[in-house]
Amino acid sequence: MNTELSHFAARLRELIANSQSALSNQYFSELALELFGLQFKHNSTYRKICEARKLTPQAVEHWTQIPAVPTAVFKELEMTSLMPDERAAVFHSSGTTEQKPSRHFHNNESLAVYETSLWNWFQNRFGRAGELIFLTPNQKTAPRSSLVHMFEIVRQKFDLPESAFTGNISGDGAWAIDFSETIQKLQLAGATQTPVTLLGTAFSFVHLLDYLAENHLQFQLPKGSRVMETGGYKNRSRILPKAELHTLITDRLGVPPKNIICEYGMSELSSQAYAESSGAFHFPPWARARIISPESGREVAEGETGIICILDLANVFSVAAIQTEDLGVRRGDRFELVGREQLAEPRGCSLMTA
Amino acid sequence: MNLPNFYFADLPPEATLSPTMIATACDTLKRNREKYLLPSKTDDIIKILCEIAAEWLSPENKFRKLALELGPSETGFSKPILEKGLDNFFRQFTLENFQALLVQELGHAERLDGFADGASVRGPELLVHVAAGNIPNPTLMSLTLGLLTRSAQFVKCASGASFLPRLFAHSLRGLDPKLGACLEIAEWRGGNHELETELFAHADCLTATGSDATLATIRTRLPARVRFLGYGQRVSFGFVAREVLREEEIITIISNAADDVIAWDQNGCLSPHVIYVEERGAVESDEFAKRLAIELAKRETTEPRGIISVEEAASIASRRAIYETIAAHRADAKIWSSENSTSWTLVFEHDVKFRFSPLNRFVFVKPVPDLNAVLQGVDEIHGKVSTVGIAAPPEKTKDLAKQFGRWGVTRICPLGQMQKPPLTWRHDGRPALGDLITWTDFEL
Repeated sequence: MNTELSHFAARLRELIANSQSALSNQYFSELALELFGLQFKHNSTYRKICEARKLTPQAVEHWTQIPAVPTAVFKELEMTSLMPDERAAVFHSSGTTEQKPSRHFHNNESLAVYETSLWNWFQNRFGRAGELIFLTPNQKTAPRSSLVHMFEIVRQKFDLPESAFTGNISGDGAWAIDFSETIQKLQLAGATQTPVTLLGTAFSFVHLLDYLAENHLQFQLPKGSRVMETGGYKNRSRILPKAELHTLITDRLGVPPKNIICEYGMSELSSQAYAESSGAFHFPPWARARIISPESGREVAEGETGIICILDLANVFSVAAIQTEDLGVRRGDRFELVGREQLAEPRGCSLMTA
Repeated sequence: MNLPNFYFADLPPEATLSPTMIATACDTLKRNREKYLLPSKTDDIIKILCEIAAEWLSPENKFRKLALELGPSETGFSKPILEKGLDNFFRQFTLENFQALLVQELGHAERLDGFADGASVRGPELLVHVAAGNIPNPTLMSLTLGLLTRSAQFVKCASGASFLPRLFAHSLRGLDPKLGACLEIAEWRGGNHELETELFAHADCLTATGSDATLATIRTRLPARVRFLGYGQRVSFGFVAREVLREEEIITIISNAADDVIAWDQNGCLSPHVIYVEERGAVESDEFAKRLAIELAKRETTEPRGIISVEEAASIASRRAIYETIAAHRADAKIWSSENSTSWTLVFEHDVKFRFSPLNRFVFVKPVPDLNAVLQGVDEIHGKVSTVGIAAPPEKTKDLAKQFGRWGVTRICPLGQMQKPPLTWRHDGRPALGDLITWTDFEL
């Protein structure tokens, strides 16, 4: 066990638990550089990348210069400082067509950081709102999903029964929803006038909404009910533009747009960003996003589009600086996600889908 | 651009098309065909096509000037790339080449005019083209073939891709207003069911280029009587034999390889994603890669890559980041790339597996022990390969062609010629005119 990283993890957990407001730029940078130094030292895979880019702790002066690792590298290489026998859990990227998923290894300490991080920011954004319905499988059936792990922690913290999960895994390994159970819960919420929060992936909402439409069902969920929708369709349902999905949610479930919250997260990270229906995504104080020009590698100007890069201090035992494959529009220290449905018609003759 | 409103694509952007407008246009096209195209002789049409080409090749030609002046912003290709691409295309338009095409496809050059040797042919009354947006040449070629078959033609361009087909149509109209009235050029984003259902109902034959998914959708929406010619996604690669990897030849080979990578900024199905290089040449494969990278950098100064979308740039940046990581971990992998831009990228890696490039001048160079390794590497894209560009001594080229042909490649050409198919090229291995026409046998 690496004591330096463990110490950092313990300090970070404390910081997260007491973090009410943004960290100063200087403090964030100090922490990021300290973590970078530790990861450079203890994560040999990462060290090689940094050395190849000539960006070593001696050369890097500001957190924005810390070399970011593309998420795709988590598929090819073990991007971790944990020895094989230290790994207590692994989260895989989702997607049915991928041959090799991303792998993010955790030990108990790094899980503890993940849990502290996700819970604090979730609580900050959601508080407590009546019942929760998770439209995903539970942790026993989907142990490698970081999203399901997050939901499980939220469930435990709220002391909800396991039946709060109404998703399951179908024969072909894809995520499905137990419609009758979900509908029963929605009906109960209506009957008891208890606000409910539905949480799931965009495609699980499409499945649910399609089912409701086919069966001519419509709900007017009690006031205060909310939806947390997390992006990505992974070829598991038809793809709807966000606005259309949200309109359907409002129409079928009676949840107003202001109560629809989007989540942006991935297995390679330990923190999540949230956005209100039409707003920009916002990470917690211990993670920051930068929107990078793919041409120059520099941060884009306000309102411009680029690649979303994140420095997540909660990624203690893996690597904090991550280059995603998503595009975002810079909005101050927040960002809007550019949906795939908004992408231009492909120009080239490529068969590539990713 | 100050062009008269002849075609739908000439209308201001705010003008919206309606199914009625499509229906009226199709009826008019058919009438005009009856009056102007059907009575024409093949020789006359060829003459006009050659005249159009001569005009486009002339530096003073109005349409060429427009294409080169406005093309960079309209099409995303730089002026030198447009110039080279269009010149290579129009240089093919010679009397001899057209004669060769007719003989190849129809057995006789006169069969479109009447019976020759017991058979004649005729083209579809209304030929509809659903054109992809990547490069203009396939659309211009489709229009050319349709003129030869005396078909009224309606070209549906992808959004933002009608610029060059439009200029071509105007140049035809300038030379021969009657023939120009047998064409329609329109632009809308694919999937507009209202317009497309109307258009498809009038078609007799429809050609479509695009993704396999797009083609499948179009096919299901076409009336059964419409002949469908789909040109789906294809990829290409290069092969350099060790015998030619010598100092005496290397400069030419590198230059040819660069020509193929930069033509239409690698956007066509005929552009190489990967160049396989045989090991143990006098110039080794990593040296080949290095020299090609230097050449790509040089070309960027003389024939720069065009403007690409942020999505395309992001796709390149992501792939570069991955290969930079791989190169940091494996001594035998290398990456060269332009600084502060995504203009060009070369990845050298020993893995023989074919890789899809994010295009826009991103090429893989892969060393291989022999041809068998290549065939193994491209196994996953079997049936999807268009062109293999070869640099090898003549005897070895013949042997390679035989083996690639047997494997299923539909076009084999010298490296450097990949994006310059001849007029007689059989697109995806299908007859150029042969698929469009219908025969009448006259048995004496």
